[in-house]
Amino acid sequence: MTQIDIFETLADPTRRRIVEALRQGERPVNAIVQQAGIHQSGVSRHLRILHEAGFVSVRPDGQRRLYALRPEPFRALDGWLAGYRQLWEARLDRFGAALEERRNAHSTPEKEQDR
Amino acid sequence: MNDISNAAAATQAQEPVVVERTYPASMRELWDLWTTKDGFESWWGPEGFRVEVNALEARPDGLLDYDMIADAPEAIAAMERMGQPLSHGTRGRFAEFRPFERLSLVHVIDFIAGMDPYESRIDVDFEPLGDRTRMVVTLHPHRDPHWSRMSAEGFGSQMGKLDRRFGTAA
Repeated sequence: MTQIDIFETLADPTRRRIVEALRQGERPVNAIVQQAGIHQSGVSRHLRILHEAGFVSVRPDGQRRLYALRPEPFRALDGWLAGYRQLWEARLDRFGAALEERRNAHSTPEKEQDR
Repeated sequence: MNDISNAAAATQAQEPVVVERTYPASMRELWDLWTTKDGFESWWGPEGFRVEVNALEARPDGLLDYDMIADAPEAIAAMERMGQPLSHGTRGRFAEFRPFERLSLVHVIDFIAGMDPYESRIDVDFEPLGDRTRMVVTLHPHRDPHWSRMSAEGFGSQMGKLDRRFGTAA
């Protein structure tokens, strides 16, 4: 699964609410519906998408099915965010270098010799 | 559950990424790097790319139009590997423009094949600290799958070599 798929999966606000509800632990569907404040009608489809995307696991418990979060996609998101931050840290290094270039270009020869 | 909870909390799609720096320069000097053609061209863009600004309207809702051009061998190879052109036009606008204090730059990302156009917003705040200036950049990465693709390709890892280009350009 690519990072783009992960973001697309979480781009839906209902699915984000389901993930929020599952942060408290394993839940059956009716508890997810109640806790997330979402409508019953679409929850099965959203849970299926989250399951197919690797965000949730599901296991039978008698007549019920219990859903829980899986760590893998969140680790991938963490990794992506770290990379994104690193990219911008590098870009701001470059910003600083450009600032210095401009300062040097505008400084007098005497000042440059002082450096 | 703690790992998952922490990760979920840290990576909620609505949560921005904040990067900040303090530079030994005035607010005006920093501002100029965002809002002038020469300034913007001197630093914007990933390592291995150069930027040519076609239009930069330094005013509220002003247009920013530039070409981002792969010019280093590794950047050219990366773009070819991703099946992307070596140069692409990019458009944006200054959604907020409060000189020397705050700007918000919204890019229109409409050049990704197979992906609907979307907007990517960057907020920048400037704060004086004596003879230095603190710059806080707030990013909204969940709306920026372009960079996620670049990052996924390992492109971000090539961006550490920052001084070389400035050294050779001086």
